[in-house]
Amino acid sequence: MKNFYLYSHRTTSLREWFIRTALRRPITVRRAEFSLRGFNLRVGRGEAVALIGPNGGGKSTALRLIAGIYTPTSGTVETSGRIAAVIELGAGFNTDLTGAENLDLYGAIMGLSRSQLSQRYREIVEFAGIGEFIDMPVKYYSSGMVARLAFSVAVNVEPDILLLDEVLAVGDQSFQEKCLDRLRAYRSRGCTMVVVSHNADIVRELCSRAVWLDGGETRMEGEVGKVLDAYRAGTR
Amino acid sequence: MRGGGGQMKRAPMPVELWRFRGLLRSLVIRDLRVKYQRSLLGLIWTLLNPLFTVAVLVTVFTYVIRIQIVHYWAFLISGFFVWNFIQRTLYHSTTILRDHASLSRSVYYPPEILILSASLSKLVEFLLEIVIVMIALVVFHHHAIPSSLALLPLIVGLQVILAVGLMFPLAAIAVLYYDVQHALPIVITSLFYISPVFYPVEMIPVEAQPFYYLNPVVGLLRLFHVVLYEGGWPSATLLAGVSVTAIVTCAVGHGIFKRCKESCVEIA
Repeated sequence: MKNFYLYSHRTTSLREWFIRTALRRPITVRRAEFSLRGFNLRVGRGEAVALIGPNGGGKSTALRLIAGIYTPTSGTVETSGRIAAVIELGAGFNTDLTGAENLDLYGAIMGLSRSQLSQRYREIVEFAGIGEFIDMPVKYYSSGMVARLAFSVAVNVEPDILLLDEVLAVGDQSFQEKCLDRLRAYRSRGCTMVVVSHNADIVRELCSRAVWLDGGETRMEGEVGKVLDAYRAGTR
Repeated sequence: MRGGGGQMKRAPMPVELWRFRGLLRSLVIRDLRVKYQRSLLGLIWTLLNPLFTVAVLVTVFTYVIRIQIVHYWAFLISGFFVWNFIQRTLYHSTTILRDHASLSRSVYYPPEILILSASLSKLVEFLLEIVIVMIALVVFHHHAIPSSLALLPLIVGLQVILAVGLMFPLAAIAVLYYDVQHALPIVITSLFYISPVFYPVEMIPVEAQPFYYLNPVVGLLRLFHVVLYEGGWPSATLLAGVSVTAIVTCAVGHGIFKRCKESCVEIA
């Protein structure tokens, strides 16, 4: 379970703290603002599971819990192997630095060592397909180019567990195809995947199982086609 | 908000930090790149800036308010850059978690890495400064190479440990309360006057010195004055005192940081 709290004093300031302390009013009156409840997911090695559901349903929270970014309020998270999470594309990019310079940091963020990065550098740049833009500051990139660069690092990390949050929506048709090819190849090599996506075609293509999250609760879990159909019927 | 009953398998902190050393390295390089790219003078700016302040202070305290000290300039530069390092790391710590909020929400890494990267990128600048200070002191002040300079790596190490110890709680509180950013300049200015940066510790009345040393920066600056300006070996008491202060500050600071770091990731 994961709770996020809404604090009754959102404007946190020392003045308020003094007043509340002086009046002996509790400082942190809190109630759970959003919680992911009763989330129970077991993903086997080489399996690909999709998380679907409306915005604010808890999909990204679930993904962040698996990635270890959030600590659960109660319950446990267990993973084994190297995790690569692509939750916000290009998080950590500095727009004043060139693509190549950013790769240095982004590679490290994704868990590549320096030698691994220099080994795969050409492949990453080629996969991103942004040509000579690689030596230009990222601020001159289009948003698609930023996404392509970030994504091509992620797929070249060769993780044991790949977590993707709605990142396949970026890029043009041909880049999407290229990514899907790469992800399929991963699956066949035994890479475990948890994918958040609103694109039913991609979900059907990549995953065998799906979990439908709504308002922090698991509405349905099962074979991907069934869950997608139920979700579509439920939202109509 | 903290992981009440929640569990996450994590290696002990030193192991975690070692695992993320590549990220630490890249963050430091990124910091320096961002700061100095497209500036003609590059790293020289980190020198010019404090040198200007040093020039003003030397003029004021040599010609206006005359502090009776041989080679006042030599005394001043022995401690000034240490103070400058402390000040810059403290400022940096108040923004660092928020600057990396989107990063922290998209991948896991121990947030301690951010604090360490901030202090190490400032350390790179400090090392450049201290080398120049040493050369100036050896050539124009001591006219010899004092053996005490051998202690420098140790006391710079203590300086970093102390700074990191102060950065930890400051960074955590700055995420929760924006007030920290507004209050810090006042604190830094006061700290500048109550620390022996532009005057020697000896000018403080003897009866008041035990209280004076409660300021953790005092012992550190005194250490630098002894080693760099006087070219002598510090007393064992002073060295031990500063070591204990630095290590205790760092342990307590990290304790506070650890308690809030998970909520910091979510709030920042």
